[in-house]
Amino acid sequence: MSLLARSSRRYLARHPWQFGLAILGVALGVAVVVSIDLANASSQRAFELSTDAVTGRATHQIVGGPTGIPDAAFRSLALLGLPATIAAAPVVEAYVAVPATASGSGGSARLLHLLGVDPFSESPFRPYLSGGAGAGEAADRSGGGSLDLGPFLTHPGAGVLAAETAREMGIRPGGRFAIEAGGKDRTVELVGILEPADPDTRRALADLLVVDIATAQELLGRQGRLTRIDLILPEGADQPALLRRIAAALPPGAQILDAAGRTRTTQEMTRAFRLNLRALSLLALVCGLFLIYNTMTFSVVQRRTLLGTLRALGVSRREVFGLVLGEAAVVAVLGTALGLAAGIVLGRGLVRLVTQTINDLYFVVSVRDLSLPPETLIKGALLGIGATLLAALAPAFEATNAPPRAVLTRSALEARLRRALPRASALGAGLLALGGALLALSPGTAGSQIGLTMSFAGLFGVILGCALLAPGGTVLLMRLLRRPMGALFGILGRLAAGGVVASLSRTAVAIAALVIAVSVTVGIGVMIDSFRQTVARWLEASLRADLYVAPPTRGGGFGGGFLAPEVAVKAAALPGVRGVSLLRRAEIPSADGPIRLVVLGTDRAGLDAFELKTGDPEQAWPAFQRGEAVMVSEPFARRRNVEVGSTLALRTARGDRAFRVAGIFYDYASDQGLVLISRPTYLRLWGDPALSGVSIRLAPGADAEAVARQVRALSGTARPLTVQSNRSLKKISLEIFDRTFLITGVLRLLAGLVAFIGVLSSLTALQLERARELGVLRANGMTPGQVWKLVTAQTGLIGLAAGLLSIPVGLALAAIMIFVINQRSFGWSMRMEVSPVILLQAVALALAAAILAGLYPAWRMARTSPALALREE
Amino acid sequence: MGQLWEPLGAGSDRAAPLSYDPRAMASASPTSPLIEIRHLTRAYEEGGGTRTVLCDATASIGRGELTVLIGRSGSGKSTLLNLLSGIDLPTSGQIVVDGVDLTRLSEHDRTLFRRERIGFVFQFFNLIPTLTVEENLLLPMELKGKVSEAQRRQARGLLAEVGLADRAGSYPDRLSGGEQQRVAVARALAHDPSLVLADEPTGNLDLETGLQVLDLLDRLTRRAGKTLVMVTHSLEVVGRADRVFRIEDCRLVEVPAGAAG
Repeated sequence: MSLLARSSRRYLARHPWQFGLAILGVALGVAVVVSIDLANASSQRAFELSTDAVTGRATHQIVGGPTGIPDAAFRSLALLGLPATIAAAPVVEAYVAVPATASGSGGSARLLHLLGVDPFSESPFRPYLSGGAGAGEAADRSGGGSLDLGPFLTHPGAGVLAAETAREMGIRPGGRFAIEAGGKDRTVELVGILEPADPDTRRALADLLVVDIATAQELLGRQGRLTRIDLILPEGADQPALLRRIAAALPPGAQILDAAGRTRTTQEMTRAFRLNLRALSLLALVCGLFLIYNTMTFSVVQRRTLLGTLRALGVSRREVFGLVLGEAAVVAVLGTALGLAAGIVLGRGLVRLVTQTINDLYFVVSVRDLSLPPETLIKGALLGIGATLLAALAPAFEATNAPPRAVLTRSALEARLRRALPRASALGAGLLALGGALLALSPGTAGSQIGLTMSFAGLFGVILGCALLAPGGTVLLMRLLRRPMGALFGILGRLAAGGVVASLSRTAVAIAALVIAVSVTVGIGVMIDSFRQTVARWLEASLRADLYVAPPTRGGGFGGGFLAPEVAVKAAALPGVRGVSLLRRAEIPSADGPIRLVVLGTDRAGLDAFELKTGDPEQAWPAFQRGEAVMVSEPFARRRNVEVGSTLALRTARGDRAFRVAGIFYDYASDQGLVLISRPTYLRLWGDPALSGVSIRLAPGADAEAVARQVRALSGTARPLTVQSNRSLKKISLEIFDRTFLITGVLRLLAGLVAFIGVLSSLTALQLERARELGVLRANGMTPGQVWKLVTAQTGLIGLAAGLLSIPVGLALAAIMIFVINQRSFGWSMRMEVSPVILLQAVALALAAAILAGLYPAWRMARTSPALALREE
Repeated sequence: MGQLWEPLGAGSDRAAPLSYDPRAMASASPTSPLIEIRHLTRAYEEGGGTRTVLCDATASIGRGELTVLIGRSGSGKSTLLNLLSGIDLPTSGQIVVDGVDLTRLSEHDRTLFRRERIGFVFQFFNLIPTLTVEENLLLPMELKGKVSEAQRRQARGLLAEVGLADRAGSYPDRLSGGEQQRVAVARALAHDPSLVLADEPTGNLDLETGLQVLDLLDRLTRRAGKTLVMVTHSLEVVGRADRVFRIEDCRLVEVPAGAAG
């Protein structure tokens, strides 16, 4: 090892706090990014695997509306005389619930993905069912698993599970287990086990219950109906003609969709969500980078004389540059290695939160374990090392400018920095303007990739701009504080305030880093809080009934479970019930992804629960009730560029129908958007009487609890219906909201942790570096107690400055997230709500960390003899 | 071997930079002066005006001479040392050290020149705190290339000469001021430079320790035949000097050695 490298290594070893905390900063940043990436990748992988398992090798799918397509559609395909190269298989698909007692999942109900297939048509599609090979990615590597067709076809309620799922549920072949399907209790007999050797296939088949198609129809109460027909159409010149021929033979309401495209559009539903998580995780990394920049700059400033001496001895600029960058590389490698390990651990926790949010907002996905794609780890490593080196570039260049023999005095250096301050502020203002322009110019369509990318670029521009403005802000703030500090603490107060400005070369970067780190926590906090309050207000306005009835088990997906229509009739007849509103949630497949319908059967009073953002309620609602128009939610309008007066085409069971959009309503239940349609219209065009829920308005003076008891008993099964009061539904809705934002809250916490470590590391280093200055003060008669006060006052002031400056910056970040990024990502508009608690938390975070940071240096300086401190220089 | 710099007097102000090749040392004539400065002017932009520290200075210093620079604080003595080492460049004029015109070299080449031919002794010692005493001595050698065992022996010999053989493994902060300056003297000579520049080397030491360091510096440089240019306020040093220059009102004036002070 060369002497220069040895000197460098010893410098790192002599400043374990400074570099340890820098390593921790990188590690945390990398850990957050990697864990989010792993959680995203795992949920995506799980989705791909399970889609792969149920879609198999299908190239196209024939799909219908909410009630699917009739069996006859499959038979009519056979009559078309299609070429032998075309394969077709009918499929019935749904989610069914295994009651908590038999689920094996720790006391909560378990959702199984029910797949009803025709074993004789299956082999080209899902060979893991027939033991063959050659269909589907998962199936290709399945390496086994076979199905004994005898019992599968002949036993009533026969089903097959993956070995792992059966084991978890404690069921062996020949055993039976209860499920809740189609609003009824059913029993399934396990007649076979799927045991693929390949781990990916094992994961793909987790929670998959395969039954014969007739069994599926019986279990779900959908006799004569199919969910879809899978097709394999060989690519070629005749494919379009074949597609047209098949389409012509389909019943009204059915359509052919490209299977891969359908999977893609479903998966893309989560794109904005994943992108947001990634961006937030990058914010944590940015905080980490500011800390690296701060540490490396500090290490250069600290060694200015030393670097000058080296230059005088003949060390070239290139060698000095390499020296600083080499140190950064050590920090980068150690921090990244630590970050990758921590990222995997953190990812295991976050994957549950990400999956929970996807299940709450988008579709059902079951993630059993964390995928560790090497590319994510490599990307994380490159990001950690690359970003750290990037952050160290400026300090490394600064180091090469250390004048030989350090002819530049400290005061000259500070003067030069103060002169550079207006330039830095102007550059900051420029970046701020650039960021603002990017935000203003980004396209406003919800979910638009370009719009989101531009918005995030704008956000990062604003952050950088604010970082550059922070030192100037500090100088102004200290000027303001100098007098009151003097009045409060005398000479010590003035010394503390003056010291912050006098040592700007040390404090400026630290304060800028802290401002950014703390403001990120303010921004995310205000954004979540604003969102929560908006949702709470919306729930208050939209939940007006007294009781809400739902199936015993919710079921998976948007549609969830069903209620028999007679439940509503019986409920309406109960004493004390003034009126009922009927709700049906249904998904209509479309080439641009599924359209979510909310079917509403209610009177005019029930419609008041929907607040219109655009459209005249006096005209829109009557048109809606007459079946002439539909309403769309705000995210739907933003996502699909729909306005009041636009026409919306929907594929009904009677063919395509165009609907006029009469109004756009506020809705925070789905970022995919909803289409509100009246129940008579839905019944007329789709012929589907099923219900997803019923809301009940009580007569004045009615006993809500007594009515709820009677309604629960209407289920017709052993398990009562779920009946919730207005208050408990609001509470549950907010709990779901909190669960959805738990991951964002965790990211905020991590950014806060990075900020805390940043304050701690930079201020500890700053004060330790003042040893000589404090030694001089001690030599001049300052008592150890006064040293404590001085150090604490100065770190406290820096913390206060960072905390105060982070408030406007944090609010600006929050405004960008609320008014730009949120709308571009999800299409929700919300009011910005600033809770003083969050702002106080930010100042407290910065202050507490700053005061804590002063403790060790103050303790050390108070204990060290002034002579030693003076000599150490 | 080709000449890498123009003959003295042929060039005036800076033309295209020349490459510095340490091997070119061999081509400098042992009888020619080690330092030639011609019409040297150094001015600084300051507060909207210009402050001239050196104006039209011309002098030459021979090999093996002990030359002392005196003058009031801020008169430009340290500036002249910076110019002689290639740390700084003149506003106009020419500096030739050991046959190399420093004004024609790039910053990088001046750095290479410095690591090859200049030894520095600073007022505040400026040892590298993260290197041991012995490593501080080896650093200038290592900068020139791989350190041989002979060079290590030479470094240890130098340490013994400055009376610090037993402190080779210590870090500078464990040494007294006088000891640190003795290490700095040894470091300045360790890589066998042609020229040793000392900027008030006793300014930070008590009288007795200062004299010891001075003795050491004088003895070691003279014995090795090195040229020593020293900035000082010490009359003791002036008394030992072969040549004395005073900087007064930006002019460099040689004063008879005996008459200085």
